[in-house]
Amino acid sequence: MADKKLIFNLVTPQKQLVTDLPVDMVVLPAFLGEMGILPGHIQTLVQLGMGPLRYKQNGQTEVFAVLGGFAEVVNDTVNVFAEGADLAGQIDEEEEKQRIKALKDSLSKKDADIDFELAELEIKQALTRMKVKKRRF
Amino acid sequence: MESLRDIRQNIKAIESTKQIMQTMKMISNARIRRAQEAMIAARPFAQKMLEMVDDLRPDILAIPQEENAPENMASRFFANLSGQKDKIGLVVITGDKGLTGSFNAVVLRSTLQFIKQNEGKEIFIFTIGKKGRDFLNRLRMKNLHIVYESVGIFPKVSYVHAELLGEALLKYFLEENLSDITLIYNDFKSLASQNLVQEQILPFALNKETKSFKEHDFECEPGLFEIFELLVPRLIKANMYRVLLESQAANLAATMNAMDSASKNAGELVTALGVKLNKVRQANITNEILDIVNGAEALNS
Repeated sequence: MADKKLIFNLVTPQKQLVTDLPVDMVVLPAFLGEMGILPGHIQTLVQLGMGPLRYKQNGQTEVFAVLGGFAEVVNDTVNVFAEGADLAGQIDEEEEKQRIKALKDSLSKKDADIDFELAELEIKQALTRMKVKKRRF
Repeated sequence: MESLRDIRQNIKAIESTKQIMQTMKMISNARIRRAQEAMIAARPFAQKMLEMVDDLRPDILAIPQEENAPENMASRFFANLSGQKDKIGLVVITGDKGLTGSFNAVVLRSTLQFIKQNEGKEIFIFTIGKKGRDFLNRLRMKNLHIVYESVGIFPKVSYVHAELLGEALLKYFLEENLSDITLIYNDFKSLASQNLVQEQILPFALNKETKSFKEHDFECEPGLFEIFELLVPRLIKANMYRVLLESQAANLAATMNAMDSASKNAGELVTALGVKLNKVRQANITNEILDIVNGAEALNS
């Protein structure tokens, strides 16, 4: 089984981040908890929550912060459709902190003409990115 | 005959127009690269998503009817079962500005054709772009209802615009029970040409050749129906995003081409006027010489 690989795809509406990459394992941040996928997995469709997505390739682990979406496992191919995804290494904590602060500021203003749901979602996303960045795997 | 001054003024005017058009061309040229990249980057998502739904179709159609009474949501999106035949939707995507050659005209012409073909039906219209909105507003036909309009989003289309459009489409598709929704837009083919596309976006027209998955081949988490309910809006939005980006790139390409040929024409006009200017000037000089010679001869005799 050691030589069997999964083909991994990660796409967001904006960009295709990973294309047909042979990997050993993928851990998805499924809505109901993390879900590890190894070669030979049954055909599966999962809804993703916000959280870290990991894949292992030749003993190296790469981590993405995924902001919800779907994943499909078919014939040893993992297709992830994420609302948004950032490579953990590229997340700037300081930037996220500032973004959260700015959003909270605008939320605290009473007469502000903003979409509360959207702002809350953005805060959640920024927090997710920070969490993923801090976590060590 | 025109005076020299008139011609010079004319040349000056044309040259400054040419300058403007060249600048506009350069602007579209600079923007188009970005638009093209965004478009190419967005293509895989919509495509892969459609493939996935295709894989799922047997399972979706197997969802028992009573699970989501009174209406089977799934079949609603795949086959036109319960929609009324006299209510349809139409999405028209044009640019905001003119100066794009036939870009808008092509879309509007086939829109008009579509409306004529569907006379007597209630048409719910979703317009993107100023040109399309103004045109449809001017029609003032009783069976047209403009239910969604969005102007000024080009050349800065973002996913939010696609989201808003997608939500509106879904809302009217379900609430008004539209039998189908058609989309008319310009597809980006190459820098030199755009393709007019008219396609049905709802219910989903999927590949006829379904892959050999059997029903319930998929394990789903949470249930298939829950996922499907979330998946459909995502798919529509992703698709709309792709279409908006295609249209944006096509719009820029059309502007570029139109401005290119316009500044070429202006150049030709300037050359022609220059020749005319020289001729008039020469004629004036000849006349003056003649006057002088005649005057001198008159004095001599």
